[in-house]
Amino acid sequence: MTASDFDHLVQPHRVHRRLYTDPQIFSTEMTRVFAASWCYVGHESEIPEAGDYRTTTLGLRPVLMTRGRDGAVNVLLNRCAHRGTVVAGEARGCAKRFVCPYHGWTYTPEGRLVAIPFPADHPAEDYAKLSLGRLEAASYRGFVFATLNAAPEPLEVWLGEAREALDTIIDRHPGGELAPMGSPQLLEFAGNWKLSWDNAADGLHATFAHHSYNTLGEMVDTETVLARDPGSTPMVSKALRNGHMVVDQRPGIPQGPWATMRNVPFREPLESRLAAAGDGDLLDLATGSMLNLSLFPNLIFVGNQLLVVEPVAVDRTRLQLWLTSAPGAPDEIDLLRLRVDEDFVNFGTPDDLDMFERVQRGLGVPEMEWIDMSRGLPDSAGDAEAGTVSGPITSEAPQRRYLAHYARLMNNPAATRAR
Amino acid sequence: MTKALESAVDSASAAVLARYDELAALLATMGDRPRCDPDLSAVATAALLHEARLLDAGRFEEWLGGWTDDAVLWVPLSAPAHPGRDQSLLLDDRRRLAERVEWRRDPAAWGQQPPSLTARVVGGVEAWPAPGGGLVARSSLLIEEHRHGRRQQLAGYQVHELVGDDLRRRTKILVVAALGTGVRNPSFLL
Repeated sequence: MTASDFDHLVQPHRVHRRLYTDPQIFSTEMTRVFAASWCYVGHESEIPEAGDYRTTTLGLRPVLMTRGRDGAVNVLLNRCAHRGTVVAGEARGCAKRFVCPYHGWTYTPEGRLVAIPFPADHPAEDYAKLSLGRLEAASYRGFVFATLNAAPEPLEVWLGEAREALDTIIDRHPGGELAPMGSPQLLEFAGNWKLSWDNAADGLHATFAHHSYNTLGEMVDTETVLARDPGSTPMVSKALRNGHMVVDQRPGIPQGPWATMRNVPFREPLESRLAAAGDGDLLDLATGSMLNLSLFPNLIFVGNQLLVVEPVAVDRTRLQLWLTSAPGAPDEIDLLRLRVDEDFVNFGTPDDLDMFERVQRGLGVPEMEWIDMSRGLPDSAGDAEAGTVSGPITSEAPQRRYLAHYARLMNNPAATRAR
Repeated sequence: MTKALESAVDSASAAVLARYDELAALLATMGDRPRCDPDLSAVATAALLHEARLLDAGRFEEWLGGWTDDAVLWVPLSAPAHPGRDQSLLLDDRRRLAERVEWRRDPAAWGQQPPSLTARVVGGVEAWPAPGGGLVARSSLLIEEHRHGRRQQLAGYQVHELVGDDLRRRTKILVVAALGTGVRNPSFLL
């Protein structure tokens, strides 16, 4: 792959199908995009005590997030320095030591090698050289990101203007507290990971792909937020630097998001209980913020879900759906959140999964090379200095901008390394 | 708000939690039950096979008619779980069950258009008398799904609480391992 390949494959108004179908491009993305970017690996609240850990992947690499004895968060490659065995096999747990199941090499939660069985037989004198590989890790208000980029920009610089939206999402929770609940739902689709990214800031698809969700809302006389004419709404989409994207639906729902919520199971008693306690104004907390934020390349805030995009193969993606709780709010809020988020996951998400798979099948047609991304061109001016572009939610500016960032990453590979 | 109204609100809210606790306990204690009642198990088998036949045939309206008014269909992501503390795929009351059937008939509900073709294998049915009358049954379930030219096979088990002379479904809990490990579009699951 030459340096200019992606200038051809990603053009201002169209992108080439190979981005979604070429296994070699996919393999290159796992390093140039995923390993070289800050990726979300977990939330600090998931590992409150020393030794707590959880596993995930970063660009196909098995990764381990641990809480060290000093209270600090470590992000490590879950790969034994000996033969390469994945050391921690569970999704989560607590361990004073990580013992490789193959030959018994033993590591601390900080990744330091502390024991090799039958050490007299082993020539290794410097255990420090045989630690678990380490990623650069940083937290922003509890959200842990990690990267293998040899010289990453600081996390807060990388977040840039997206910090404002992230702060808004966090600060709507009493005490600024939010935490993923338990374990995620794992949904897979037979399509490229970028299809979920294209969809995340796509304000037009809701009218068509989610038509059934909108009319399901009509059955019970509720105007879901997606039922509007997307071309005449004050809702805004924004393309931010580094491929981040925002869809702000709040201007379109001045009455607040709870007013657009359908009759989810057990809504009424919990709603009445909140009202009786004088907490009726907190009901909007039971729905999402209506501020969809996508932090390129793997974290999407939608509803009260953290949607983590996990590429598996060029035509296979796993979505981790983590429902977040509001620990500082009355219990009824989380009880409502559980049923509220099921609503879209059951009656909306299946549409998206189906569209992703339909697109992937269609992109298999070699004679039709290009994907049109021209809607809304020319891009209206945003904040040129900050590199942001704003427009109506029907504009494809966010997709154009994230793909331009993607092309830069692919054309100019950053060095990656384990610490 | 009057004290009487306040108390009514509190008890309605407590009833939600009580129903959730009941569901969690039913699931959590399933493995500890003694040997089943063979006669009751035969009765339950007939009801469960009938339900599977209705679902595989897409006769959702008839299936909907077989639920009680206080019905709950719960599909947790794993077991044990609690519907008030853990994310689930779904927890439907009678109202949302009815919406789900409407949704399955909507030609623009792309997640199920074209609809999945399914074949359910229900086996190992065990049943016991339920404390409030009726019966509780546990059965193994294998579902093969065909859609868009591909197939997926999901394995799990289901717990039913069936009440009244006509054995209406008051509770159904469907535990499918793949929901916690990776499943493709599970919107055919009922």
